[in-house]
Amino acid sequence: MKLLKKGAEADIFETKWQNSKAILKIRKTKNYRNPLLDSKIHKQRTIKESQVLSQVKQIGIPAPLIFFVDLKKSSIIMQQIPGKPIHDLPPSKIIPLTKEIGKLVGTMHKNGIMHGDLTTSNFILFKNIVYVIDFGLSQNTIKPEDHAVDLRLIKEILNSAHAKIMESAWKNFLSGYKSVVGNAKFSKITNLVSDIESRGRYATVV
Amino acid sequence: MLGLGIESTAHTFSCAIIEKKGKKGTILSDVRKIYRPEEGEGIHPREASRHHVENSSIVLSECLQEANTSINDLDIVSYAAGPGLGPCLRVGAVVARSLSSFYKIPIYPVNHAIGHIELGKLLTGASNPLVLLVSGGHTMLLAFLNKQWRVFGETLDITLGQLLDQFGRSIGFASPCGKNIEELASSSSNYVSLPYSVKGNDVSFSGLLSATKSVAKKNKSDACYSIQETAFAMISEAVERALSFTQKKELMIVGGVAANKRLSEMLKDVCKRHGCKFFVVPLKYAGDCGSQICWTGLLESQVKKSASLKDTFVTQSWRLDSVKVDY
Repeated sequence: MKLLKKGAEADIFETKWQNSKAILKIRKTKNYRNPLLDSKIHKQRTIKESQVLSQVKQIGIPAPLIFFVDLKKSSIIMQQIPGKPIHDLPPSKIIPLTKEIGKLVGTMHKNGIMHGDLTTSNFILFKNIVYVIDFGLSQNTIKPEDHAVDLRLIKEILNSAHAKIMESAWKNFLSGYKSVVGNAKFSKITNLVSDIESRGRYATVV
Repeated sequence: MLGLGIESTAHTFSCAIIEKKGKKGTILSDVRKIYRPEEGEGIHPREASRHHVENSSIVLSECLQEANTSINDLDIVSYAAGPGLGPCLRVGAVVARSLSSFYKIPIYPVNHAIGHIELGKLLTGASNPLVLLVSGGHTMLLAFLNKQWRVFGETLDITLGQLLDQFGRSIGFASPCGKNIEELASSSSNYVSLPYSVKGNDVSFSGLLSATKSVAKKNKSDACYSIQETAFAMISEAVERALSFTQKKELMIVGGVAANKRLSEMLKDVCKRHGCKFFVVPLKYAGDCGSQICWTGLLESQVKKSASLKDTFVTQSWRLDSVKVDY
């Protein structure tokens, strides 16, 4: 098997599933982590990821299909999306795509799903469709605070990794998000985002 | 160039003198006096600032003596202008202003957190690292991009230092409690399950703090062991996420909690997995010190004019990602 990526959490291999190309995502034991804690995290995340991947397919979010889950090995075999992560695209292409990302996030939130790891490398562009991947930190939650945490994370990523296009990208993201969740939820969540930011260390001038 | 740096953001009042030649800096002296609260208590801003006032002249003269210099030899004086505790910050600023106006020495206000990073880079030789800043005031993952340090992850509530200190105080230690917790933790290997909260590259410690306090009622050393294992694993995971996202090939850890051996052991393992170099700031300079302020002031003086006295502010809240870095 060919190692495609050594992620933070899991290793991604290219494999085969019934004669077609597939992805094997396997959560490896981390030596630095206490074994009890380590196995708890693996199990939880493997289950959550496969559950939510199936759920989002039902609400029309483009995401990889699950082929097989092995809880003992903490591994998932899923469809390969052979596109490019949004993170690696040129800035001029990222800006318009952030609106689509906003819509996708809005759809998930509207259906009570928090992604939990909204970075630009977890969205893949393939044949002009944006796919969402990596649901290991996702949760089923309708709590506005949880949804705001999602937004704050993508804002932090735009502000750091994509600092040069931050303003237009963030504006686009918000307009896409708003178009799905509606005005009332939109203002509630964005206010909460400011709340969370103001709780950050040394955020406000005293 | 010869600089004097004055640090007084929290517990520590410190003066340091560094000689800068080209890109190299040599620390000639670094003298500190640290305010210690009573056991089970935290830092009291008024008492800490009183401590700083009482010790400032002794620390300054010892620092000059050790470096074998006189005030007249100094090219610049810099002070920590924030972030930190207001009353404490003011003491350092007053000392710096007095020296600057009486001896006509150019004065530079410096961001304390940037100081941790710049001194770390000087002492470890890291060139383009992902930085983990862990102290009483900060828990942040940073990378340099486009003339600014950008935040790739941070705590959403309390810092790692606060977590350890507040938990430590609840079982009777005096702040800073990290060392005591580490010692007691080494006597246990019984892991008690605690809330583990990683949100993307961010972490949250407040739930962990409350949960560990109730574990401590049954067994203190199990609680110490488990809080360390959980909190440090969270930090390590956030580091892994940021490393794989930014593709950086260096990790540098700075700040007071960098002194913890278990944490650096775990991060070493993370670096091995990602094939990246691991730098940890030397123990002596992990905590707050005058050197971090002095070195950053010297770097700033290459590209900036000194501040006029009316602009020598102190700011309790001053995020390091709002500082433009031109050197």
